[in-house]
Amino acid sequence: MDYLELTIGAVLVNNIVLSKFLGICPFLGVSKRLATALGMSGAVVFVMTLASFITSLVTKYLLNIDLGALGIGEGTVKLDFLQVLLFILVIAALVQLIEIAMQKLSPALYQALGIYLPLITTNCAVLGSATMNFNAGRGVLASTLFGLFSGVGFALALLLFASLRERLELADTPAAFKGTPIALITAGILAMAFVGFSGLC
Amino acid sequence: MYIMIITAAVMMALLGLALGMIIGGVARLFRVETDPRIELVTELLPGANCGGCGKAGCSDFAKSVVSGENPPSRCPVSGAEQVAAIARALGIDAGQSFPMKAVVRCGGDTRQSTRLATYNGVIDCAAASLVAGGPKGCAYGCLGMGSCAHVCPFGAIEIVNNLAIIHAEICVGCGKCVTACPRGVIKLVPADATVHVYCNSPQKGVAKKQVCKVGCIGCRKCERALPDKFKVTGFLAEVNYSSAPTAEEAGAVGCPAGCLLEEQRHLEIETHDPDWSPDK
Amino acid sequence: MKESLFTFKGGIHPQNDGKELSRNAAIKPAPLLERYFVTISQNAGKPPKPVVAPGDLVKKYQLIAAADGFVSANLHAPTSGKVKGIVEVPGAMGLAVPAIEIEADGCDETVEPLPLLDWQNLDAKTLLDRIAACGVVGMGGAAFPSHVKLSPPPDAKIDTVILNGAECEPYLTADHRLMLEHPTDVLEGAAIIGHILGVKKVVIAVEVNKPDAIKTLSDSAQKYGVEIAPLKVQYPQGSEKQLIMAISGRQVPSGGLPMHAGCVVQNVGTAAAIRAAVIDGRPLIERVTTVTGEVVKHPGNWLLRIGTPVIEAVKLAGGVTAEPGKLILGGPMMGFAEKSFKVPVAKNTSGILLLPHETAVNYESGNCLRCGRCVEGCPMKLAPALLCTAIEGGRYDLAADNHVMDCLECGSCSYNCPAHRPIVQYIRRAKAEIRKKAKR
Repeated sequence: MDYLELTIGAVLVNNIVLSKFLGICPFLGVSKRLATALGMSGAVVFVMTLASFITSLVTKYLLNIDLGALGIGEGTVKLDFLQVLLFILVIAALVQLIEIAMQKLSPALYQALGIYLPLITTNCAVLGSATMNFNAGRGVLASTLFGLFSGVGFALALLLFASLRERLELADTPAAFKGTPIALITAGILAMAFVGFSGLC
Repeated sequence: MYIMIITAAVMMALLGLALGMIIGGVARLFRVETDPRIELVTELLPGANCGGCGKAGCSDFAKSVVSGENPPSRCPVSGAEQVAAIARALGIDAGQSFPMKAVVRCGGDTRQSTRLATYNGVIDCAAASLVAGGPKGCAYGCLGMGSCAHVCPFGAIEIVNNLAIIHAEICVGCGKCVTACPRGVIKLVPADATVHVYCNSPQKGVAKKQVCKVGCIGCRKCERALPDKFKVTGFLAEVNYSSAPTAEEAGAVGCPAGCLLEEQRHLEIETHDPDWSPDK
Repeated sequence: MKESLFTFKGGIHPQNDGKELSRNAAIKPAPLLERYFVTISQNAGKPPKPVVAPGDLVKKYQLIAAADGFVSANLHAPTSGKVKGIVEVPGAMGLAVPAIEIEADGCDETVEPLPLLDWQNLDAKTLLDRIAACGVVGMGGAAFPSHVKLSPPPDAKIDTVILNGAECEPYLTADHRLMLEHPTDVLEGAAIIGHILGVKKVVIAVEVNKPDAIKTLSDSAQKYGVEIAPLKVQYPQGSEKQLIMAISGRQVPSGGLPMHAGCVVQNVGTAAAIRAAVIDGRPLIERVTTVTGEVVKHPGNWLLRIGTPVIEAVKLAGGVTAEPGKLILGGPMMGFAEKSFKVPVAKNTSGILLLPHETAVNYESGNCLRCGRCVEGCPMKLAPALLCTAIEGGRYDLAADNHVMDCLECGSCSYNCPAHRPIVQYIRRAKAEIRKKAKR
C-alpha cells in the first residue's frame, strides 16, 4: 500500500514539474513538438530511474563509511555534506557510460534518446528526485520506484503540455500572447489543474 | 574532524579515479568511428543552424561537405574567408562564392497589370496559383500575395501595390523566397548588381502588352546598345550578371517598355511615385 | 424502399441542385465551327506527341497526336480541315497550354473507319488495343486513359465493375440525358467492359433523382447482363471510393486504388465512348456536355466536339441573359473556375456552368469555430477542421500525418462550413506542397 501511495503521489499529487516546479527547463524547452517531447520523456524516465537507484546505493554505502569495517580506525564517518557533489559525479558518470555504450550497441535507440541524454544528466528534476529520496530516508527499492514514477510524472506533464502547445501554435492567438507568453499561461493553468489531485493520497 | 576530511577527500578521489577509468575503458571498448573532419568543418561553420543551406543544421551541413554532397560555399552565412578556410582544411575546391541577393523579376503592380478575375480565397501565392493559375492576367508575373515575404527570415520583402519588392540592403541571398514562389519570378543575382529587367514573361510582346504595361517587349534596344551586358531570348531581355551594367549605362539605354530599371528607382516608383508610367 | 437504396456515410445534400434547368433538354448536335483548338494535354499521365505539322490536311477521326507511353491517350481530329499550327490557348487549370488549331473546311470528311469488331468473340488484348487507338479516357473528370484502367495487374482480383451514372454534381445533366436517350450505348459499353475484365457483376449506379433513366436502363439491362443500382441522392455519391462503398460495402484502403477493393469504376459516358470505339470504330472526338447556369438563355445538353471553345458552346445555348459572375468547367462542387471564355472543351468537360453574380458570392472567411460540421460532411472520414488549421499554420507534416492525401476534394467541408473557410483550397495547397517534397 505504501508503494501504491508512493507511485500515485509521484505521478499526480507531487508531480515533479507541476507541483515541485523542478525540470522547468526541458519542460518549456522541448515541448514545441510532440515527437521530441516523446524522446525527451523517454530519456528522463530512463535517467531518473537509474539515477535514483544509483544514488540510493551511494546514500547507503558511501555517505556512511564504517571505518571499523575497512580496518582503518573505528566508528562511522557521516559524509552527508558531500551529498550533492557525489550525486552529480555519480549520475554524470553513469549517464556518460550509458551514452557511450548505447551509441555502439544500439544506434537506433541512441538516435531516439541519445541527443537528449547529455541535456539532462544533472537536470534539477533528476537531482531533485535523488535529494528527495535522501531527505525522506527511502531504501533502495522505494527510491528506485520513486525515481521511476517521478519520471513518469515528468513525461505526463511534458506530453500534455507539448500537445497543448501544438494546438496553441495553430490557434489564432492575439499577437501579444503568441509563442512563449501563451505557453507560460498554459503551464500555469496546467499546474493549477494538477492541484486538483492533492488530497488523493 | 580530520578523519572526516581525509575520508571525504580520499573517497571522492578514489571514486573519481574509478569512474574516470571505467568511462575511459568503456569509451575505448565501444568506440564508434566518426570522421574527425566533420567536427573540424563544424567548428569552422558559423554555428547559427539557420538551415539556409537546406540541411538540418551546421553539423549536418558539415557532414554533407565532407561527403562531397555540397561545396562549402553552399553556406549562405559564411563569408569568403570562412569558406576558403573550410576548403583548405579539406583540400577541396571552395566552389564559387560571392554574396547574392534575390530580385523579383516583375514590375506588374496593380497599376500596370490587369486582373482577369476576382480572387476570393486563401491569401497565399501557391494556393492562388492552384485556382485557374491565379487572378493575374500575366501567367508569369508576381501574384503579390506575399508567400515570399512570409518565408523570408530577415523581413527583406515588402508587398507594395500587390507586388513583392526585395530590399536589397536587408537581403542576404538565402534563397528561401526563390523556392517559395510558385511562379519562379524570384531569382538570385550577384549582390553588387543594381540593374535588373523587371519582367519574367517569355510570352510574345503583343500578348504581354494586353496584360501588363511594363512587360518586356523584346525590342532588343538594350542588347543592341550593350551587347555584352544584355541578352534577349525570344521576347525577354536578361541582364548578363557576369558583367553587370551600371545604373548610368542602363539609363542611357532608355528602355521603352519601362522594365529595365535601376534597383533604387524601381523601389522609388513603387513606394513614392503613384503616377509613374512607362510612357513618360 | 428507402432503406434499400445504396449509399455511404457523410456527404451533403445540396438544397438546390439546379438540374431542372437542363434536365429535360434533349441532347442536340452542335453545328460545325470554323476553328477547333484541341489541347494536347487532356489526359491524366503523359501528354501525347503531335504527329501533324502546320499546313497538313486532316480528315475527321484522323490521328493528330499519338500516345507517348502507356499512360497516355491518342488525339484525333474533330473534323476535316487544315492544321494551322500549335498555338497557346488558356487551359482549364488557368495557365496557357499548347493546342492544335484546326481550321475546318466544312466538308466534315471522315477517314476510312476502323473495322467493326465482333467483341463477344475477341480477347481483352484486341479490345484494349482498340480502346487505346481511339483515345478513350475517363469522361467523368480525371481523364485517366481507359485502356490503362481496364488493364489491372494480373494479381488484382476484380470481381465488380461499377458504371458511374450517379451524376451527383449539381447542375450537370449530361450523363442523365445520355442514359435516357442512348441506354443501349451505355449498356453495351458496360457489357464490353465486363467482357474485357472477365467480370460477371456489372452494375450501373444511378441516383434516384433520375427515375426515368433508371427505368429506361432497367428495361433492357437484363439483355446485357447488367444490374441497375439505385443510389440515394447524396453528394459525392459519384466519387469512385464512395461509389464502391455504396455498391459493394468495401473500403478502398488509404492511398489505394479501386482495384484494391476488387472494383473498377468507369463513367457511363466512358462506357458509351468505349462502345463507339469497339463496335463502330469511332475515336473519341465528341462528348455530351451540359451548358447551364441561371444566366444561360437556353440551358441544355449538347454533343460538343473536343476543341470547341467555351464561348461557342455558350453561343449555342443562346448566350447569356445577364453578366455571368463565374465560369466553371465541370460541376459547381469540383469543377474548375475559369478566367477566360477561350478555354476549349476537353474530353473530360462534363459541364459548362455560368453562375450569376448573386450565386457566385464572395464570402468573407472567418476563424474556425470547431463546430465539426466539416467532419460530419467528410465522406472520407477525415477531420478537415484540424487539417485546415494545421495547413494555415504551415504544419504540412501534421496535415500529412492526418491523411490529407486521402482527401478527394469534394468540397463537402467547405459547403458545410458556417465560417466560409476555404478548406478545400488549403488542402489542395498542402497536397501540392507534400507532392513537391516527396519529389525532392
